[in-house]
Order: sequence, then C-alpha cells, then structure tokens
Amino acid sequence: MSASAERSWTVRLRRRAVAALPPEKLLPDGQPTYVASWIYVFGVLSLASLASIILSGTILALKGPTWWHVSSIGHFFNSIHLWSVELFFFFMVIHLWGKYWMAAWRGGRKRVWITGAVTFLVAVPCALTGYVSQQNFDAQWISTQAKDAFNAVGLGGFFNLMNFGQMYSYHILLLPLAVVGLVIAHVLLVRKHGVVPPLELEQKLEAASRGTDPHRSS
Amino acid sequence: MAAAIFNLNHHAGFIHWHFIQLSVPNVIAIVLMLLVFAAAILAPFPGGRRSGGAS
Repeated sequence: MSASAERSWTVRLRRRAVAALPPEKLLPDGQPTYVASWIYVFGVLSLASLASIILSGTILALKGPTWWHVSSIGHFFNSIHLWSVELFFFFMVIHLWGKYWMAAWRGGRKRVWITGAVTFLVAVPCALTGYVSQQNFDAQWISTQAKDAFNAVGLGGFFNLMNFGQMYSYHILLLPLAVVGLVIAHVLLVRKHGVVPPLELEQKLEAASRGTDPHRSS
Repeated sequence: MAAAIFNLNHHAGFIHWHFIQLSVPNVIAIVLMLLVFAAAILAPFPGGRRSGGAS
C-alpha cells in the first residue's frame, strides 16, 4: 500500500473497525451454549419492539399527529405504536433485571452496561414526549403536570412541555435518533465483547485458567 | 367498533400504602414483569439445556 494510502483517514478507520469487530464477530454463526436460556431472549425482544415502534411511528409521522383521531387506519397504527412502546419497556425492564443479577458489566463489558442503562433513561423522555403529542385532553393534562415537574427541578428553561412543536420535534427526531444510536452502539459492543457468561461458568473458567477446581477444597 | 374487553372509561384505581401510591394498571404490569422474569429463569429452553455443563 502506498504511503498516501497509509495516511488516509478512511484506511485507518477501516483498520480500526475491522480490528475491533472482525466479520466473524460482527455477524457470528453461533452463540455459546449458555445463551440457550429464555432470559437471554429479552434483548432481542426489545429490539423487535423498537423496530415496530420506528415503523409504526414513521407511518404516523407521514400522516401527521391528528390523523389517528379521524381515521380508523390511523387509530390502528397509533395503537400499534402505543403497544409496541409498552412491550419495549416491558421487555427492556426484564432484560435489565436479568443483566443486573448476572452482573453483566463483568469482563470489560462496562460500556455495554452503560449504553444499555442510558438507552433506558433516554427512552423515558422519548415516551413522555409521545404522550404530550397525542393532540387530546390526555396530552394537555400530562403536559401541564410535567411542565410543573420540569420547572421544579430547574429544567423549565430548556424544555417547555406545553410547546407542542418542540415536544413533537423531540419525539419524532431528536430522542429517537439518540435511542437508535445508543442501541446500535450497545449491540456493536455486545458483538465485540460477546454475551456475558453466567457467574458460575466464569468462576469455572477462571479456576481452569489457574489449574484449580473451585468446588474442591484444598 | 368492537367494545374493549375491559371497560376503560373511568379513572384507574390506586393502591396507597404509606408514601407509595401506584395505579392498579401499573401494579398489574409490575407483577406481570416479575412473573415473566421468574418464568424466563425457571422454564427450560427448548432443545437448549446442556446435561453435563458448558465447556
């Protein structure tokens, strides 16, 4: 490779990306045997719910925020959007519980844990701005109540819950971008570090590397 | 339009215990999550359980 190509930022970026995530890690053809448990299913269920949220939300955005009030098809997609969000949080909470109790930040997986936890935190205002974008009395009630809460914690100067345009922009662009970006980072980090093994298995692997049996007293 | 299975045209009930106040729908969702969490740990995964431990 020529010297100019060696200095190229695209070449350096490609090398770093391939070193961090070689193709067999990025798109693996198998997983360790310990992944064969229902508790490992909730991450991908959260992803499926998020895909349904984005798809139904895109259709709702195409027709505008009042569409679902005047069209049965709009009402259908609004319901798909709402229940996808309900399932997203349902699955994400169980995923979080599972990962918390197996201490999933072990083995250099701190950033995997952090991106997952931050995704959960960012998803909350993403849902809140959706509730205040409903264009009904429910939205008015929630926005006036949430406005007081934001003012009470000193954030009222940055976010006006009663400004529909601002809340709608946050709901359909800024916060979904943040959630999807964090989820992509989370999944890539899982690919890089691998799925966290159960605690018992990690103890056995550590003992094997030291040449001792953890269940045998010396 | 078909009627809802549950009549939702009223205020939600609340469970109030000291400073804890939860709506009944939220309590149902939390209990469901706990049940699904327990089932996910205890239920056997089809064709996946190893007999002699992972290597």
